Amino acid sequence: MSERTRNLIVGAVSVAALVVIVAGLAGRSGPTDPTPQERAYQLEIRLKCPFCVGESLADSQSGVARDLRVLIERRIAEGATDQEIIDEFVANYGESILLDPGGKRWGIALWALPVLLGAVGVYAVVRLRRPAGVPVDSEAGSR
Amino acid sequence: MIALLGYLGVLLGLVSASTLAYTGVRAVRRGGRVDESVRWSVTGLALGAIVAFAALELGVLTHDFSIAYIARNTATTTPFVFLLASGWAALEGSIVLWGLMLAGFTWVLAGKVRGDDRLGVGALAVMGAVAVFWFGMMASVANPFAICTEVIGGTCSATSWFPIGNAVAPLEGLGPNPLLQNHILMAIHPPMLYLGYVGFTVPFAFAISALAQGVQGKAWLVRTHRWSLIAWLFLTAGIILGGWWSYEVLGWGGYWAWDPVENAAFLPWLIGTAFIHSAIVQERRGMLQAWNFVLVIATFALTILGTFLTRSGVIASVHSFSQSLVGPALLAFLVVVLVSSLALFAARIHLVASSPRLDSVVSREGFFLVNNLILTLFAFTVLLGTLYPLIIDALSGREVSIGRPFFDKVTIPLAFALLLAVGVGSIAPWRVAKPQILWQRTRGGVATGLAAAAFAVVVGVSSIPVLGVIALAGFVIGTIVGFFLRQAGARRAAGAGLREASWTVFRNDLGYWGGQISHIGLALLAVAIATSSALAVRGQLQLAVGDSGVVGGYCVRYDGTFQEVTPNRIVDGSTMTLLRDDCSTFVAELAPRVNRYRGASQAIASPAVHTGIVEDVYLSIAGGSSETIALDVFVFPLQWLVWVAGGIMILGGFVALGRKLRRRDTLPATPPEPEESRV
Repeated sequence: MSERTRNLIVGAVSVAALVVIVAGLAGRSGPTDPTPQERAYQLEIRLKCPFCVGESLADSQSGVARDLRVLIERRIAEGATDQEIIDEFVANYGESILLDPGGKRWGIALWALPVLLGAVGVYAVVRLRRPAGVPVDSEAGSR
Repeated sequence: MIALLGYLGVLLGLVSASTLAYTGVRAVRRGGRVDESVRWSVTGLALGAIVAFAALELGVLTHDFSIAYIARNTATTTPFVFLLASGWAALEGSIVLWGLMLAGFTWVLAGKVRGDDRLGVGALAVMGAVAVFWFGMMASVANPFAICTEVIGGTCSATSWFPIGNAVAPLEGLGPNPLLQNHILMAIHPPMLYLGYVGFTVPFAFAISALAQGVQGKAWLVRTHRWSLIAWLFLTAGIILGGWWSYEVLGWGGYWAWDPVENAAFLPWLIGTAFIHSAIVQERRGMLQAWNFVLVIATFALTILGTFLTRSGVIASVHSFSQSLVGPALLAFLVVVLVSSLALFAARIHLVASSPRLDSVVSREGFFLVNNLILTLFAFTVLLGTLYPLIIDALSGREVSIGRPFFDKVTIPLAFALLLAVGVGSIAPWRVAKPQILWQRTRGGVATGLAAAAFAVVVGVSSIPVLGVIALAGFVIGTIVGFFLRQAGARRAAGAGLREASWTVFRNDLGYWGGQISHIGLALLAVAIATSSALAVRGQLQLAVGDSGVVGGYCVRYDGTFQEVTPNRIVDGSTMTLLRDDCSTFVAELAPRVNRYRGASQAIASPAVHTGIVEDVYLSIAGGSSETIALDVFVFPLQWLVWVAGGIMILGGFVALGRKLRRRDTLPATPPEPEESRV
C-alpha cells in the first residue's frame, strides 16, 4: 500500500467517524435539565460531611450525611437554586464545609502554585533543548 | 515466652542492622570487598526479622492475649484468614511486616553483591541504616511484644514495654477493626502496598551509595532497574486492590475518594512512575542524571510520608487507624532522610550536572520529559491538596477542606495531557522526530480514536468529556498497535510468517513492549474511570417486602430478609431480585447485607454487586425500618474495566521485567556542552 493510499484510508475513516459523531450528537436534544437527584448529587460531592472524617456528603453513610442529603433534596424541591443551597450550608457550617475553597483568599495559592510549577517545568524543558540550528544562525550572523 | 522470643528477634534485627550499616561503610572504605562481617550482618537482620514475624504470628494464632497487641487486635472468634492477617493489619504488626520485607530485600540484594563492589556494598550499608530506623521503632515506640500486666474489665489496662515479668492475659481479645475483617482483599492489599513502598528503598540505597562515593554514570540505574519495576508492580497492584476493596466493602459505591491516605499511596506511585521513565532517558541518552537522583529520593521520602499520614492520624481520614508516638518518629525520620539526602545531593551536584542536551522537544526523550513534567505536576498538586488544610491551619488557624471537587478539576486536564503524551511519545523516534514520521506512526491512532468515539456516540454516549477520553484512549491504543503491526509487517515482508514475525518483534524488545502494554492498560483505565463516574446512575429506593422499584434501566424487587449469626458477626441480609426495567426479565439474585461485628458499635454495609458485560449494578443498604428498606442503587458503566485495565498495566510491568539491560551506551552520545548544561 502506498503512503497516499494509507493517508486516504485514514482520511476517509476519520471523516466518516466525525460525520457519525456530529450527526449523532446533533440528533439528540440539547443538554436536558438535570433531574433533581442529579442536581442533589452534584451538590453533595461539593460539600463535606460535617462531623465525619474526610468524606463528602455524597459518600458518607453516617446518619448526619443522610439527613443532610434529604435536606438538600427538599430545598431543591422547594425551588432553591444550587448557589442558595451552597450559601445556606456555608452560613451554617462555615467555609470549611466546601471541599474546594475555589478562587477566594486561601484558595488562590492552591491553584496558583501548581500553575507556577508547571510554568517553571515548561521553561526547564525548553531550556534543556539544544538551541535549534545554532550553526545556521552563526552562518547567518557571519554573512 | 513468645513475647520474649519475638522481642529478642527485634533486638537481633536492630543490632544486625547497625552492624550492617557500620561494616558496609567500612567495606566501602576498604575498596568494596564484601567481607564476612557484612554477610553475617545481613544474615542476622534476616533471622531477626523472621523470628519477630514468626513469633507474632505464632502468638496471634495461639491466642496469646498476654501480648497487648494480640489482645487489642484479635479475638478467638476471628476467622483464620483474618486472624493470620491480624499479625500485620494493625500498627505495630504492620511495622513487623515492613521490617520482614526490608530484611528480605536486603538479603536478596546481598546475594547480588559479590567481590569488589563498592556501589553494591554502599547500598547494603544504606539498607542497614534504613533498617535501623524500622527495627528501632519495633524495639521502642511501636513494640508489638509489649506484655499485658493488668487486666481490668476483661481488657488489658496496663502494659510493660519490656516483655519480662508477670504477664496476665484477658480471657478474650477485642478483635480486629471491623473494616479489616470484612473482605479477603484486606489481607492482600496492605502487604502489596508495603512491598511497593519497601521496594523503593533499594533504588534509593543505590542512589545514595552512588552519590556518597561520587560514582558517576548510570551504573546505579542499571542495577536498580528491575528493583524499581518490581516495587512499581507491587505498588500498582496494592493501589488497585485497595480501590477494589473500597468498592466491594465500603458500600458508598466508589473506589477512589481522594482521601489523604489514598493520596499517600498514589504520590510515590506517580513519582516512581516518573522515575522509571526518566531512568530510561538516562540509560539511553545520558540525560537527566541529576533529575533521576531527585526523583528517587522523592519517591523514597514519599513512601515515608505516606506511612506517616496513614499512621499518625495527623489528617482525618477513614484510613487512619491509630495514633501514637509512631507519628512523630516517622516525621523525624522523614526530615532526616530529606535533609541528609538533599545535602548529599547538593554536595555532589558537580558530578551529575553535566548532561547532553535535548535535540528537539518533539522526540522520544522530549516526550519523556513532558511525561515527567506532567507526572511531577500531578504529584505536586495532589500533595499540595492533601497537605493544604494542615498548612492553612498552621498559618492562619482557619479550617479549610480539600476534597474531590478540587482534585477532579486539576487532575482531569493533566490526565488528558498525559494520555496525549503517552500516545505520541510511545512511538516518537529518539533525537528528532520528523513531522512526516510522526504522522505516519500516529495516523492509524487518529482514525482509531475517532472511530472509537463514533462507536460510543452510536451506542448512546453524549457526554463530551467521556467522548474525549474514549477518542484519546483509542488514539493511544491504535497508535501502539499500529506501530507493532508496522514492525511485524516489515519482518513479514522479509519472509517471516505472521506469528513468527510478531513474536520476534515482541521478544526483541520486551522492555519497550511491556511498557506499551502498560500504556494500553492506562488508556483503558482512563475510559473505565470516565464511564463509571460520568455516566453513573444513582438512585435510592424505599421498598417494602414484595415491592419493586426502577433505577437506571433496572428493576429491583425486595424479596425478604435473612440473618446469619457466626461467632464473630451478625449478618442482616436482604434478598433482592434484579430484573430488567420491564420488571419481568430476570437478571440476578443479589443479597446486600449489613454486618455487625462483636465488640464494635459501627455496623458495616456490605454491598452486593452484579457485574454485567456493559455495567455493574451495585446495591447497598442505606437504612430502613421494620417495614421498609432504604436501598442505594448505583449503575456503573464499564466498572469491571477498571480492574481489568489495572491488571493489564501490571501485566505490562511483568513483561518489561524480561528486558535485556543496556549496560553500554548504544546510541552515539552527542558531544557534551559542559559550560552550559544544567539540569
